[in-house]
Amino acid sequence: MAEVEEKKEQASGTGTLTGAALEAEDVLAGAEPWAPIETKLVVWSFVIAIIALVIGLFLVPTSVLH
Amino acid sequence: MTDLANRKWYTGMLTQEDWWAVWLGVGFFFLSLFNIVGIDLVGWMTYPTKWVLNVPEGGKGAIGHAFYALGKKYSVTAKGFYKGLGWWSVIWTYVGFTIATCLGAFFMKWNMKRFFVGWTIIYFLTIATWFVGHHAFIAANKINMHKYGLNFALNLGGGGSFILALIVGLIIGNFFKPFAQFLSEAAKPEWYIKTAIVTLGVKLGYLPIKLAGMSQKLGKQAAGITFDLFVAGAAATIVAYMIFWPGVYIISRKIFKLPRATAAVLGSGISICGVSAAVATGGAVKAKPVVSIMVSALVVVWAVIELIILPGVFTHIWPGTKDPLVAGAAMGMSVKTDGADAAAGELLDEFMRNKVEVESNGAIKWPEGLITSSAVMTKVWIDMFIGIWAFVLALIWCYKIECKPGEKVPASEVWHRFPKFVIGYFFCWFFLLAIYFGPGQGGAPEAMPFLKTVKAGAVPVEKGMRKLFFMLTFISLGIITDFKKLREAQFGKMVWVYFVALFFFIIPVAMVIAYLFHHGMMPPNIAEFVVK
Amino acid sequence: MEFTIRHDGREWILENEEAVLSSPTMDGLDQKVREYIHEKGLLRAGEKLEVKMYFQNSTIPQWIRQYSQHYFNRILVVEG
Repeated sequence: MAEVEEKKEQASGTGTLTGAALEAEDVLAGAEPWAPIETKLVVWSFVIAIIALVIGLFLVPTSVLH
Repeated sequence: MTDLANRKWYTGMLTQEDWWAVWLGVGFFFLSLFNIVGIDLVGWMTYPTKWVLNVPEGGKGAIGHAFYALGKKYSVTAKGFYKGLGWWSVIWTYVGFTIATCLGAFFMKWNMKRFFVGWTIIYFLTIATWFVGHHAFIAANKINMHKYGLNFALNLGGGGSFILALIVGLIIGNFFKPFAQFLSEAAKPEWYIKTAIVTLGVKLGYLPIKLAGMSQKLGKQAAGITFDLFVAGAAATIVAYMIFWPGVYIISRKIFKLPRATAAVLGSGISICGVSAAVATGGAVKAKPVVSIMVSALVVVWAVIELIILPGVFTHIWPGTKDPLVAGAAMGMSVKTDGADAAAGELLDEFMRNKVEVESNGAIKWPEGLITSSAVMTKVWIDMFIGIWAFVLALIWCYKIECKPGEKVPASEVWHRFPKFVIGYFFCWFFLLAIYFGPGQGGAPEAMPFLKTVKAGAVPVEKGMRKLFFMLTFISLGIITDFKKLREAQFGKMVWVYFVALFFFIIPVAMVIAYLFHHGMMPPNIAEFVVK
Repeated sequence: MEFTIRHDGREWILENEEAVLSSPTMDGLDQKVREYIHEKGLLRAGEKLEVKMYFQNSTIPQWIRQYSQHYFNRILVVEG
């Protein structure tokens, strides 16, 4: 019984990790240099957005094109 | 330590809020369908009306009728019984939903005693705020204030109650922190809003049925407009997301010089779908969990700030009542977290309907809920999309950016990140649509008696339960929002990235894209069918 | 082979009934898994073993779990 209670307590607690327990600097500092793959990632996202926009404007009956 | 890992596809069906939103929403929806065979099991759900202390002669607003059981108005089989409930419907509703939510809390292994006490306090606080918020001075408008013997009213409609609920919550969350901590076991805005969103599915499916009661043509128009929202929302979401994410990623990497993983998490968190995205993306790029936790803490606070500012801005500055659904869709794309977004959508709905009614001097009335739906629709698409985008990012991170020999990304990740409450939302919507087009014969006059029985069940769920859970969301959001978090030094840089990205990039882009896909869509005018 | 994985603020920790492995970086963790498997002789040359790592959600504070129920699961393929 006590064990069940304890388990519940843990499941309902705040989690084993909290923001306050950590060094934020650790995740905010130490930026890696910009890599070509990131350019690719970003550019491709924009390209997909533009393609989706054009297709969407044509297909969606409520878009401004209609 | 309790094992909460997602091992199998069905893990969590009984232990996650997401699934419990489905069980609650769909459960009560099924209960409501018993009306078809003549048994009304949901008419007890309570609902407030406007009231005043001194009712003018021949006017409205007796305090004794400030809460009533919805069955009083809509029940086909038990009108008399539910009419007798009056204020007691508050207790019936308390008992009904206490059983349901405690069942959920039990299976989710929460601390039952704390949940029960917390829930009880939050429920009655909600009812109290709902009551105060419906004083005619707050809720009435120019058109109807005279019935309550008033010469001036704040014109806030049901929105006044929401604002009050948020204020009450925020006061507790920021000035009575130990109390807020105590309530936190039951202050679950996301659980409540997900449940409310499932019942919003009921609302969407019920809308054609409701309008068919006015005229068959209006019913069809409503079915069409909900479908249009569905399609336009999908397109707008994908476009917006693919612009937002890289944009914020560049801002955080180039301007604020953050490391890759942190920028990726912030990119998702700020750009569109808040906490769930921050956690999903954090997991995808294997960021230290603290990154997601920090971003989440920020997202929640900023979302509430948006919730306070945007509905007013969209209603009174741009796009106003000329393009109410553009405003809704833009809201869905710019307010993070389902809770704050749906809440903001609901406020917008109240403000816009009130405004258009006043502007047109009562000649235009929009059915409630469509503007909320437009805000939730884009959000629901985003919620589904984030799982897929997180998977793509995981693949890119795993195989291109931080290659680790031998690492694989399991495809089941997409399912584990899928927002399960969405299943309940679509289920209820399509189920009712099937009833409307099937046995309901698309709202033909001969099917109206049957549709009336469906209506008797649907209204308590889509109106009483939905609004109650919205109210619970507003209060809980306030309780868990601690503005002091923004001042904590360790967040410094992130607060600014967030501010810049949100106000100078996300919101303007969201408005443009919402405009491109939703411009000109209008809720149907039901003024001639509604008793003034 | 299956583990749960969590993070204690400084280190990633893998855990199952037989072993607990930890390291500040994911790479270091993978290395430890390989060493552990080889030390125990769980893998013959030429064989492959999938090590499944399920994220322990209790790492994430409960108030955040309501927004998202999943962090990540990953699979590491170790070759003999």
